[in-house]
Amino acid sequence: MSDRLRLTILGGFLGAGKTTWLRHQLNEGTYADAHLIVNEAATEPVDDRLLHHPGGLSVIAGGCACCDAADDLRRTLRTLCDDRSAGSGPDEVMLETSGLADPGRIVALIQSDPVLTRHIVLTQIIVLVDAVEGPGRIATESLARAQIAAADQIILTKTDQSSAYELRATLTLLAPGAEVAAAVQGVAIPLPALPPETQPIPIGQDSATPIAAHVLDVSQTDWPGLSVWLSALIHARGRDIMRIKGVVNTPAGPLLLQSVGARMQRPERIEGDAGQLVLIGRGTTRDALNRSLATWTESLT
Amino acid sequence: MCSGCGAPPVPGHWTDAGGATPADRLRIRAARAQVLGRVLSDHGLRAADGMLVPGLTLSASGGRQVLVPDLDALWSAAERLTGRPVDPLADV
Repeated sequence: MSDRLRLTILGGFLGAGKTTWLRHQLNEGTYADAHLIVNEAATEPVDDRLLHHPGGLSVIAGGCACCDAADDLRRTLRTLCDDRSAGSGPDEVMLETSGLADPGRIVALIQSDPVLTRHIVLTQIIVLVDAVEGPGRIATESLARAQIAAADQIILTKTDQSSAYELRATLTLLAPGAEVAAAVQGVAIPLPALPPETQPIPIGQDSATPIAAHVLDVSQTDWPGLSVWLSALIHARGRDIMRIKGVVNTPAGPLLLQSVGARMQRPERIEGDAGQLVLIGRGTTRDALNRSLATWTESLT
Repeated sequence: MCSGCGAPPVPGHWTDAGGATPADRLRIRAARAQVLGRVLSDHGLRAADGMLVPGLTLSASGGRQVLVPDLDALWSAAERLTGRPVDPLADV
């Protein structure tokens, strides 16, 4: 047993593939003995239902662990440190952050806490970067750049859909010391050599509007109307509605829906409560989303 | 994929995942066509689902028609035909 509790932080922007990557690592036995902390901005999280982990799992829901839910994270980590001091806690913790978290702020939180800083050693910050959506996010989101700058290791995801040469050239500028690897559905794949003189992505004007999470109750919305509305929404607003996530009722049973930008992933059957969607992005409000959904689906209800 | 007509071009669109049985899938298609009919009429468009054949037919005023395999393709085609996306948040 080492002197201090080892902490790995898994970060990355909304929809970068953090849970998919972590699921694969857990299936492979990596982090088998680690205690998982899963942080989601949604009040009704779903990632914990995807991560079957006998090693122990804590959920911090309803806020980002680097800001809104920082106190929850502090409490959770202190409890783990106390348990360990009493001889029953884990030696290792894997923290999966929300897509809106800056890992640097979590490190600052730990360092500024008199208990945590004495009991926790940060072993690695792993940041996942989406090869498809990442270039656009890096160009316009300072948060995406801050996440990358904090990384010890960067894992490019979805590289089967994009060569990501310009993205890789940008990563070496934003995080010169970080190791860059790639994974598809969590499985590590080799990266081809970066062509010489590949130009980085031009950094544009950051949006001044903050990113917000809107929770919609869709428990009474029929699947045909909901699917039509969502498909139109991500087509028209995929740049602004960066992430949609939630479990909805369908005739086939509860389905986990997850979109990144304008792309919806293949829905997945999942057990448990259904009827809530979280939409994360900017340029709209919860009221506007609710009015729009009601208008589009009114003839079916 | 059907070797006669080549449909569907890709296996399963996400919006088709809600039906577990053939009857469910038919009901979903009929209900979906109802929603599309009302939404698209505001944009001078019409969508028809032949039910027995795959895909949807999108029609614009002037007689232009496009056969689309799924809703993603339908919204792209609608944008091409009208010059702007069908935005659910445009008038709320």
